[in-house]
Amino acid sequence: MRFILRRLGFFLLTLWAALTLNFFIPRFMPGDPVDALVVRTRGRVSRDALEQMLTSFGFKPDQNVAVQYVDYLGHMFTGNWGRSIGQTLGEPVTKLIGGALPWTLGLVGITTVLAFVFGTLIGTVSGWRRGGALDAILPPIFVITSALPYFWVGLLLILVFSQGTGGWLPANFNYDTTIVPGFSPGFVGSVLSHAVLPAATLLITTIGGWILTMRNNMITTLAEDYVRMARAKGLGSRRIMYGYAARNAILPNLAGFAMSLGFVISGAILIEYVFNYPGIGYLLYNAVQNVDYPLMQALFMLFTVAVLVALLAVDIATVWLDPRARAKG
Amino acid sequence: MRPTRILAAAVIGALAVTATACSETKHKGGSDSNDATQSSGPKKKGGTVTIANTAGQTWTCNFNPFNPAVYNTSIGFVYEPLIHVNTLKNQAETPMLAKSYKWNADKTQIDFTIRSGVKWNDGKPFTAKDVAFTFDLMKRVKSTDLYALWTTAGLRSATASGDQVTLKFEKAAQPYFYAFAHQVAIVPEHVFGTGAAAAHPDTWVDKKPVGTGPFEVDPCSPNNIQYTANPDYWQQGKPYIQKVEYPAYLDNGPANLDLANGKAQWGSQFIPGIKQFYLDKSPDNHTWSPPVQNVSIHPNLDPSHKMTSNLKVRQAISYAIDRDKVSKIGVGGQEPAANQSGIVTPTFDKYYDKAAVEKAGFDKPDPARAKKLMAGLGYSPSKPLKLKIITITGYTDWDASLNVIKQNLKAVGIDLTVQDLAQQTMVGKLYTGDYDLAYYSQQTSGPTPYYELRQMLHSANTAPLGKNAASNWERYRNPKVDQLLNDYASASENEQVDIVKQVAQYMIDDVPVIPVVESVDWFQYNTKDIGGWPTEDNPYAQPAAYNFPDTGQVLTHLYSKSAQ
Repeated sequence: MRFILRRLGFFLLTLWAALTLNFFIPRFMPGDPVDALVVRTRGRVSRDALEQMLTSFGFKPDQNVAVQYVDYLGHMFTGNWGRSIGQTLGEPVTKLIGGALPWTLGLVGITTVLAFVFGTLIGTVSGWRRGGALDAILPPIFVITSALPYFWVGLLLILVFSQGTGGWLPANFNYDTTIVPGFSPGFVGSVLSHAVLPAATLLITTIGGWILTMRNNMITTLAEDYVRMARAKGLGSRRIMYGYAARNAILPNLAGFAMSLGFVISGAILIEYVFNYPGIGYLLYNAVQNVDYPLMQALFMLFTVAVLVALLAVDIATVWLDPRARAKG
Repeated sequence: MRPTRILAAAVIGALAVTATACSETKHKGGSDSNDATQSSGPKKKGGTVTIANTAGQTWTCNFNPFNPAVYNTSIGFVYEPLIHVNTLKNQAETPMLAKSYKWNADKTQIDFTIRSGVKWNDGKPFTAKDVAFTFDLMKRVKSTDLYALWTTAGLRSATASGDQVTLKFEKAAQPYFYAFAHQVAIVPEHVFGTGAAAAHPDTWVDKKPVGTGPFEVDPCSPNNIQYTANPDYWQQGKPYIQKVEYPAYLDNGPANLDLANGKAQWGSQFIPGIKQFYLDKSPDNHTWSPPVQNVSIHPNLDPSHKMTSNLKVRQAISYAIDRDKVSKIGVGGQEPAANQSGIVTPTFDKYYDKAAVEKAGFDKPDPARAKKLMAGLGYSPSKPLKLKIITITGYTDWDASLNVIKQNLKAVGIDLTVQDLAQQTMVGKLYTGDYDLAYYSQQTSGPTPYYELRQMLHSANTAPLGKNAASNWERYRNPKVDQLLNDYASASENEQVDIVKQVAQYMIDDVPVIPVVESVDWFQYNTKDIGGWPTEDNPYAQPAAYNFPDTGQVLTHLYSKSAQ
C-alpha cells in the first residue's frame, strides 16, 4: 500500500511539473499567433484586426503571466480548454481533440496492441526454439524493417498498393470523403480500407522491437534455474514456455508496452502526415506550426497524463505480477 | 513557361467557344451594365467538381465570412461581394450584388446601386439595407473590420436609401475600392442582426451560411465540404455545375496525387516536376499559373546593417542574379523571372517601363558590372563579402532558387550563407528586422502594382528595428515615394499609371528590394468532364481555389461536358 501511495504522490508531482513546463515552453518559442495568422491570411487582413480577432477568441498577450498561469492550471482540470487561435481559429479545443482522438486511438492504438501481441508471441516462440526455422527468418526480417523510417515505408506502400495497382487501397483520408459518416456498411468498410496502409506501415516498423526484446528476454530466462527445475520435474513444454519462461520474460516488456500505449495518444505524426489521416498527431503538428497556445497546451497535457497514467498502471501491474516488487515496497 | 502547348486541339476548340463568349466583360466606373449572365452562353446543369487545395487541417464547418481562418471556403461560394475586380485583366469589373456605382469628384463618396430581385438562400429578399448593415457591423465590432475600412481607409458612414447605398470617406478612398467592393462579403441582416450572431459576429460559428452566392453548404463534415447548387441563384441558369466537393487535404502530397490521377479536377498548389508528375499523366491535365506578385530578396536598409544598407552592394546583388536561371532551376520554370522595377509582367504590362529597366542595365544579368561594384568596395571572389540570407525551411523550391543565387553571387565576390529557419522564426525575424537579407514575398497582391509597391515601400508600413513592421520589412523610407503613393488615391487612371512608373523608377534607382522571380496563382485543372476554366486567353478571374471571391466567378463559369 505504501508503495502505491508513494507512486501516486510522485505521479501528482510529475504532473504539476509537466503542466508548468507546458505553460511556459510555448511562450518561449519563437513566433507569435498574430504573425502566424498574418501569414495564413496572406497579409490581406490588417494586423490590428487579426489581433482583435484573436482577443475575441481568448488570446491575452498583455495579461499578467502569473494570473494567466493560475487560470491555466484551473482550466486544465475543469476541461475548459478554450478555443483554438491557430489555423482552426475559434473552434473549441475540446471539439478539435474530440474529433481527432478517436481516429488516432483506433488506428495507432489497435496497431500498437497488435504489434505488441504478435511481436511478443513471435519473440517467445523464436526464443524457445532458438536456431529453428522461425528464429532464422522472422526476427532478422523485422529487425531490418523496424530500422526503416516510418514515412519511407508509408510512401513505398502507397506507391505499390495504391499508385502501382491503380488504386486498390486508398492512400489518403480516414474514409471516403464523399460518404456521410454513419454506421452504414459502406462507411465502416471505407474506414477499414483506409486504415490498412497506415496500420501496415506502423506494424512493419514497430513489431521488430517487440520480437527482439522478447526473444532475448526468453533466452535469458530459459537459462534460469527454475526453468531447468521445471524441465526436471517433467512438465509439458507448453507449460514451461508460457507459464515459467514467458511470464517472467514479459515483465521488462510490459513497462515498454505501457509507455508505448501512453504515446499512442500523441499519434504517429509522420504516419498521419503521409496518409493525410486527420488524427491527433497532425493536430499537434498544426498547433505548433500556428502557435496555437490553447490547442498545444491541451494536447501536451493529454500526452503527459496518458504517459503518466500508463506508468502508474505498470507500477501497479508489476506489484501484482512480481512478488519481489511487493517485498521491497 | 506557360504550358499552352500541351492543350489538346479539341480542348482549345471547346475553350475558344467560352473565350469568345466571355471576353471583354469589362465594366468600369459605374457603367450600368445590366447583368453578368450575358457573358457566356447557357449550358445544361449537372456534374461535380472536386477541389484539391491543401487546407492543412480538417474542416471546422464554420462559414463565418468575418473569420479569416475560414473565409475562403465561404466567400465566393456562398457569400458575395458588391463588385468583382479582376486582377489579371487590368481591373476589369463584373457587377455582382451592386449593379453599378458612382464616385464623387474627389473620390470621398461612392454610391452603389444595389441589384434587385436577389434572394438570400433562405428565401428572404436581399436589399440595400443588408449592405449598409454589413459595413455598420464592421464599425460596431472592430475585429470584423478586417480591411481597416473604418480606421485606415477613413470610412465615416454607410447608409442605405431605396436601392442606393452610400459610403462616405474622410479622404480619397479609391485604392480601398478593391477591399470594400471586392473583398467584403455582404451578410444578411436577418441572420447577423439577431441573437448570438449579433452579439459576437466575429466569434459566432456560422454552420449553415445564408448567402446570395451560387452554392449552399450541404453537408459539411470534418473531411469534406460538399456544396450544392443554389436553385434560386440570381444569375439565371447558373451555376451549371451542381456539386462541388472540397476535401480537407492535410498536405500537398495527397492532394497532388489526387490531381494526378484525376480524382480531383481543380488544383491550387505547387507540384514539383509538374510535367512528369501531372501533365504527362493525362492529356486532360493542364496548368496555367498567372504571376501576381514578386518573390524578392529583402535587404535590411537600416544603417546599422552596414553592408546591406550600402546601395552598391544591393546593386551588385541585383546585377549578379541570373533570374531566368533561378526560374528554370529553382522552380522548374513554373514561376517566371521578375525584374528590378518590381512590376509583375505580363500581368501588369501596362505599368511596365521596359526602357527604364534597360537603361539601368537590369534587363539581363551583368556579372561584370557587379564584380566591378564589389571590387570598388574592396571585395573579390578570392576575398568575398560574407552575407547571410534567411529563408523558410521546407520551402524546397526557395532553397533551390537560393542555391542558384549563391552561385551567381560567388562569382562576383559575395559569399552567401543560406539560413533555413522554421516559418515562425523566419517571419518573426523578418517583421522585426533582425536579418541582413531575407527571401520572402509580400503576402497579398492587388489589381494593380500599386498595392504591392505600397506595401513594400511606404514608410507608414515600416517600423524601427525590433518593432513589427507591417510589410515594409526592409525599412525603406523615402518621402518622395510616400508622396507619390499618397497621390495615387485621388489621381485619375492615367495619372495612376504614371505614378506607378515613377515609383518603379525608385525601385531601379534605390534597389530597396530585389525581386527575383514572380510568384503565381497556383492553378491546375482537368478538362475531361469540366469546361469553362479560366485560361491565359480568357483570364476572367484569378484561378486558384484559395482566391476569394474569384472562386465565385470560376464556379459560375464551369460546366460539365457530359451533361451537355
